[in-house]
Amino acid sequence: MTATPSTASGFRAGAWAALGARFFLGAVFLVMGAHKALHPPDFLGALHQYHLFGNHVLLNLTASVLPWMEILCGLFLLAGIAVRGCAVVTLVMLTVFSLAVLMRALALQQSAGLLFCAVRFDCGCGSGEVFVCRKLLENVGLLVLAVTVAAGPADPWRLRHRL
Amino acid sequence: MTGTDVKRVFLEALAVVAMGAAFGVAANALSPRGLALGRNYFPQVHGGSAAKEAPRTLPGGAESAGAAIHARLLASGFQPIDTPEVLRLHRDPDYGQELTVFVDARNDRSYAEGHIPGAWQFDRYYPEEHLPDLLPACLVAARVVVYCTGGECEDSEFAVLTLRDAGVPAEAMAIYVGGFNEWKEHQLPVETGARHSGAITEGSR
Repeated sequence: MTATPSTASGFRAGAWAALGARFFLGAVFLVMGAHKALHPPDFLGALHQYHLFGNHVLLNLTASVLPWMEILCGLFLLAGIAVRGCAVVTLVMLTVFSLAVLMRALALQQSAGLLFCAVRFDCGCGSGEVFVCRKLLENVGLLVLAVTVAAGPADPWRLRHRL
Repeated sequence: MTGTDVKRVFLEALAVVAMGAAFGVAANALSPRGLALGRNYFPQVHGGSAAKEAPRTLPGGAESAGAAIHARLLASGFQPIDTPEVLRLHRDPDYGQELTVFVDARNDRSYAEGHIPGAWQFDRYYPEEHLPDLLPACLVAARVVVYCTGGECEDSEFAVLTLRDAGVPAEAMAIYVGGFNEWKEHQLPVETGARHSGAITEGSR
């Protein structure tokens, strides 16, 4: 069976969208990961403020490994290697980051008596101090991209579909 | 996607996590700026946690924020000092004779961009790089003033703890609450580059 012109153009549009999502997500993770990897103490300090780790070794290990995980995912997404697997990893990371940012922002809001969107702090995301609402919106956008890459149509310009 | 595809994607994700973890541990071990995995960079401060729930945008302005930090430092057993006292110490002849020592607890980049003239650098995350030169100076000094960015910055507190553990008497050390930001706000002289580089930008006062 051959594709009709409309399904062929639909496929093409989907493939381009998937390619755009993959490239954008990969570039964001590469840049953010590199920023954290270049300044490990800054990221360690930011991570510490979330009080997620009861043990300092676990905190140090997370601060050391996470930026490189982001870099690897970014590179793989850009190159088109293990794309769906990387998208799932970014999806999990983004979900955990967003929940952590939300919880911290709520704690800051309570202690300072501010409007939620007026809360501003360095979330350790690699972009310095940010207003929490903006950060959460950005993360939602990235989550949508991650879902698109993980579950959407595969673009044909991948180096290697699987590991 | 079929069930097999989903399983395959999750296995792929696990493989990526394993590769990323191995990559990260190796990179951290090889990097000169890597973290020491076994070191506790955030020791518990006497009198409560050093971690504060203090956002940058505080109601009541900088004054009430400064007062809150002042009170918290006192409660934690530190000696907080403010700009007038810091300025007095900086202009005291003891400063030129190294009987008063200023310690900048910020990182290389921030220190090079500007610090209080004559201040030693002590990036507490890499104590082994700074302590060999800094410690003898602190041990002979009668007064050691430690600062970081100011405000919610905790690095000066942890730097004091590290110096105290290295043998510097706690009673000789004070924390400049306003930190470098407040120093700059008062348009006081700033030295760039290395300590005693001679590259000093004079403020308007």
